[in-house]
Amino acid sequence: MTEEQRSILSRIQKDANLSKTEILLKGLELLSEYYSLGLDTPPLSLELKRLEGEAVHHAEALKRIRRREDALKEMIRELHDIDEIVNRCGGPNALIQILLDIQKQFGWISKLAVMWISKRLGVPFSSIYQIATFYKVFSLTPKGRHRVRACLGTACHIRGGPRVMERIERLLGIGDGDVTPEGKFGLERVNCLGCCALGPVMVVNDDYYGNVKPTEVGKILSKYG
Amino acid sequence: MVREISLKIDGKEIKAREGMTILQAAKAKGIEIPTLCYDEQLKPYGACRLCTVEIVKEGRRRMVVSCVYPAEEGLEVEANNEKVRKIRRLILELLLPLLPPPSDTVTGPIETLAEKYGVKKSRFKAELTNCTLCGHCVRYCTEVKKANAICFIGRGTERQIAFVPELAPNHCLACRECFSLCPTSKMVDSVEGIRGVCSLSIPISEKIKGK
Amino acid sequence: MVEKIRSPAELEKLRSEIIARRDPKKRIITACASTGCSALGARKVIESLKEEVKKRGLVGQVGVKEDEVEVKETGCLGFCELGPRVIVYPEEVPYFRVKPEDTPEIVSETVVKGKIVERLLYADPTTGEKARKLEDIPFYKHQLRLLLKNNALIDPKKVEDYIALGGYGALSKVLFQMAPEQVIEEIKKSNLRGRGGGGFPTGRKWETTRNAPGEPKYVLVNCDEGDPGAFMDRALMEGNPHSVLEGLMIGSYAMGANEGFIYVREEYPLTVENITTAIKQAEDCGLLGGNIMGSGFNFRVNVHRGAGAFVSGESSALMAAIEGEVGEPRPKYIHMAVKGLWEKPSCLNNVETWANVPLIILNGAGWFRDMGTKNSSGTKIFSLVGKVNNTGLVEVLMGITLRDLIFKIGGGIRGGKRFKAVQTGGPSGGFIPEKYLDLHIDFDELTKVGSMMGSGGVIVMDEDTCIVDVTRYYVDFLSKESCGKCVPCREGLRQILNIFKRICSGLGEEGDFENLEDLSELLKEASLCALGTTATNPVVTSLTHFRGEYEAHIREKRCPAKVCRALVAYYIQPEKCQACMKCSRSCPVDAIIGDKDTIHVIDQEKCIRCGACYEECQFNAIEKISPPTPPPPRRGIKVIRKKKRE
Repeated sequence: MTEEQRSILSRIQKDANLSKTEILLKGLELLSEYYSLGLDTPPLSLELKRLEGEAVHHAEALKRIRRREDALKEMIRELHDIDEIVNRCGGPNALIQILLDIQKQFGWISKLAVMWISKRLGVPFSSIYQIATFYKVFSLTPKGRHRVRACLGTACHIRGGPRVMERIERLLGIGDGDVTPEGKFGLERVNCLGCCALGPVMVVNDDYYGNVKPTEVGKILSKYG
Repeated sequence: MVREISLKIDGKEIKAREGMTILQAAKAKGIEIPTLCYDEQLKPYGACRLCTVEIVKEGRRRMVVSCVYPAEEGLEVEANNEKVRKIRRLILELLLPLLPPPSDTVTGPIETLAEKYGVKKSRFKAELTNCTLCGHCVRYCTEVKKANAICFIGRGTERQIAFVPELAPNHCLACRECFSLCPTSKMVDSVEGIRGVCSLSIPISEKIKGK
Repeated sequence: MVEKIRSPAELEKLRSEIIARRDPKKRIITACASTGCSALGARKVIESLKEEVKKRGLVGQVGVKEDEVEVKETGCLGFCELGPRVIVYPEEVPYFRVKPEDTPEIVSETVVKGKIVERLLYADPTTGEKARKLEDIPFYKHQLRLLLKNNALIDPKKVEDYIALGGYGALSKVLFQMAPEQVIEEIKKSNLRGRGGGGFPTGRKWETTRNAPGEPKYVLVNCDEGDPGAFMDRALMEGNPHSVLEGLMIGSYAMGANEGFIYVREEYPLTVENITTAIKQAEDCGLLGGNIMGSGFNFRVNVHRGAGAFVSGESSALMAAIEGEVGEPRPKYIHMAVKGLWEKPSCLNNVETWANVPLIILNGAGWFRDMGTKNSSGTKIFSLVGKVNNTGLVEVLMGITLRDLIFKIGGGIRGGKRFKAVQTGGPSGGFIPEKYLDLHIDFDELTKVGSMMGSGGVIVMDEDTCIVDVTRYYVDFLSKESCGKCVPCREGLRQILNIFKRICSGLGEEGDFENLEDLSELLKEASLCALGTTATNPVVTSLTHFRGEYEAHIREKRCPAKVCRALVAYYIQPEKCQACMKCSRSCPVDAIIGDKDTIHVIDQEKCIRCGACYEECQFNAIEKISPPTPPPPRRGIKVIRKKKRE
C-alpha cells in the first residue's frame, strides 16, 4: 500500500463506531476524491468496487453520462437520501412505504436502490423485486420529467376515457408505461383516481383535469415545458 | 400428545393426527388426490387448486383445497365426486395451453394427469410459456436453500418467474436442485451455460411482457 | 389547543368554549377543497376568495379573528361535476361551477350585502327553477345525509370543527359509561353490516375478535376503495377523518385492541394528508394516544399507503401488505378476526362502517335498526355514476328502489336516452336489467338478482352502451388486477378475455357460450380468494339478461349498441354534409376525403373507427352503422349548402 492509501484506510478505520452504512459512504466519498487509488483491502474494496461500477450504469440509465467522479458523487447523494427515507420509515415491515417514498423522490426504483435497501433492511433483493413489480405505482426504469396519467376506471371508460388515452398516445408517440425519447413525458394508465363524477379524468404531475375531450389533450400537454 | 381424530373420505372412515391437513391424512392412508403445487418439503401453497375436494360440515357443502384445509373430527370429505372431477378437468384444460404440444418423448406430471382425467386436448388458446407458476423453484430456493435467488414478478396474467441476471448470480448457489422440481421442461441451463444464468433469465431492462 | 383533554367534562368544556367563540350569524364562505373540486380548479377559487376578502378589509392581515369573515376549506358533498362548490353561511346559499372570476361578485354581493348571485345557483334542467338551498336541489332533496352532511361544515384540517359539532362525544360516552361487552351488544343490536362489500354483521365480527385467543389484537380501516367508479370512502376520509378515527377507537376499546392501521390507497394523496393531520391533532388534544381523555385507555394508529393494487383491498392481502410482504391473498380457512395480522385477532372494517359507529352510540342501536329494511339497517353512500344526469355521491336509506335512485335523484338518463342496465358492486357485481328497477336496494335483494352491494358503486348504462364491451372491460381489469397465484383465476380470466376479444372483433363462435359458462363456474367454485370467486358475476349476469347482445355479436357479427370497433363503421350521409372540413381535420389517419366545396367521404380502408369525426360533426351528418357500409358516393360532388338562418 502507498502512504496515501494507508492514511485513507486509517481514517476510515478510526471512525470505527460509525455504522456499516456510514463507513461505506465515507469510503465512497474518499473514493470519489481519490478514485485512482485502489483500496485493496477486502471486503470493503469489493463492496466499493461493486457500487462504483453501479454508479456509471446508474448515470447512463438516467441519460446523464458523466465523468466517473461526478457519477460517484451523485450516487453517494442518492444513497444518503435513501438512508434518510429508511431511517424515517422504520424497519423491514415498512418496506412498501420505503419504496413508495423512494419512487416519489427519485421517480423510479433503480437497481442501486434495490441493492442498498436489501443491505440496509436485511431483506433479500428478490422480495424487493417482487414488490416493485407487483404494484403499479413502482417503475423500474426512470420515468419522464412530467408524469401523465389517464384514468380508465369504469366511469371514465363509459364516458370516453379510452379515446382520451388514445389521443395522448398518438400525440406523444408512446404507450402505457413508456417514456418519450428525450425523457419529457411518461405515460401511465391508472384504474381509478376517485373523481368518477368528472370522467374522463387526466392528471399531469399534480394537476387534475376533468371532463377532458380528446381535442383538449394537445392544449393540456403543451402547458408543460 | 397429539390427538387422534377420525374423519370420512369418500365414505371411508379413517384416522388422522390432529394438525394434519386433509391431503396429508388422505396420503397417509393411500387415498389419491391429485396435486401440482404441493411438495412435502415446502409450505402448502394452495395455488393450483387441483387438490380441491368437497367437504360437508354441519350440513353445509363447500369446496376447499385439501393441502391447506385441516383434517377435523367428524369431517366428511368427497374427494372424487362429479363436481370435483369437473373442476379438475377444467383446471387441466387451462394448464395444457401453457405447455408445448404433446410429444412422445415428454410426458410430464400434467400430461399424465390430463390423460387420467380424460382431457385429450384443450378448448382454449395456446400460451406456450411452459410455466404453470406452481412456484416449486421459487419456494424451494427461498424456504429450503434460503438463497432467495429467483422470484415471482408482476401480477395477474402478467405474472412470471424471473432469474434477474444483474443481481441473482451473487445469490444463486448453482445447485440446480430447482431443475428437478419443475413439472414442465422449462428449467434448463441457458444456452451460454454461464453459471447461474438459467432459462428463467429476465434482465431488468427487459419489460415484463405486456406491460 | 395546548392542553390535553383529561376528562369528559374537559371535552364538554372545550366544546362549549369553541361554540361560544363562534358567532352563528357570522359570515363563513365554505369551499370544497377535496380531490373532485380540485380537479376542476377549486384551489384557484379558494385563493381568489381569500384574496378578495382580504382586499376588502374583511379580515386582518394575520390569521382570522373570530368576528371577521372566514373562508373555510371543507370536504366533498358528492355533486362533483358541478364543482367548484361554494356555500355562504349563515344563509346557506350554494353556488356551483364557481370560477375565480366569480369571487369578487360573491364577496361584494352575498358576503357584504347579503344578496344572492342568481347565475351561480343550481338551475333545474327542465324547469329552470333556481335552488336557494342545498335541499331544494332534487339531487340532495331525496337523500338522508347522516354521514356526509358534516362535510359541508368541517375543515378536515381543524379538529375544533369536529368537536364543535359534537365530535368525540360518542367516544367519551363509551370510555366512561359503557363496558366493552356493552358496546359490542349495541353494535349487534343495531344490525350494522359491513359497508365494504361483504355485508357481514359488524357486531358479530367484533365479538369474534374480542373472544379470539391471542394478544395483541388489532383493528384496521380499509380505505383501499379499489372499485373503479367508487369514491365514497375518499369523501368520508378526506372530508371528515375524525369521524372514522372516533369509530375506530370505539371499536378498539370494545374488542380489547390498542393498535390500529389505516390502509389508504396510494391514488388518494390528499386523503393520506388529511388523515395524517387528523391523527396528529387528535394526539395533541389527548383524544388519541396514551390515557385518552384520562380514561386509562391507550390507542395508537399507523397510516399505511397502498401502492396500486386492487387485490390488496382483500382482507388477507391487506394484512400481508402491512406485514411488509407483497399484498397477495393467502389461502386461509380461519377468519382474519381469529388469526389475522401476524396471526393475531384482527378486525378489518370499511371506512363507512367505522363512520357509522359514533352515530349508533350517540343515537342508540334502535334508532339505527329502525332505519332501512329489515335486514339492512341505516343509510348507504352510493357512487351514482355513468349515463345519469346527476352523478355523484348519494347517501340514502337502505330500501330505496333502483328506480328512485336513478330517476329521482339521478335525474334520469342523460340526453333522454333509454336505460339499459345498472351495474352495482364494482367488478365483482352484476348487471341488473330494467325489469328489476323496482327492487328495494339492500344487501340481500341485490345478491338475489346475481349482483351485490359491493362498496356502493352504481354505474348506469344506456342504449349506447354495449354490454359485451363493458363485460370485456371488467374481465380485462380483473385479469390484470388478479394476483395471478391460483390457476382458475389467472388462467381462467386469461382465456375468458381471449374469448371476449374474439367476440368483440367479430370472430365469436357458437362454442363460446358453453366455454364462458364452464369457466365462470370454475372460478366461482375453485378460486383462492373473493376476487376470483366473484370475478365472473359480470359475465354470468350479462349472459343471463343480455344474451341477445352476445348472439348478435357471435352469430350476426353485429354490435347492437354500435360500440365494438371492429363491428361498426362510420358513414357520412351525402345529403347532410356541409363540407365544413371539421371532421377531416380531426381524423388522426387522414381517412376523410373532401375539401370546402365537395361532400366528404370516409375511406373505409383507412378508417380506424375512433369516432373523432362523429364527435366533431355539427350537422349530424355522420352515422354509426353496422357494416356493410353503403357504396361510397361518387367523389367530388359539390355540396349544396343549407340557407343560413336569419
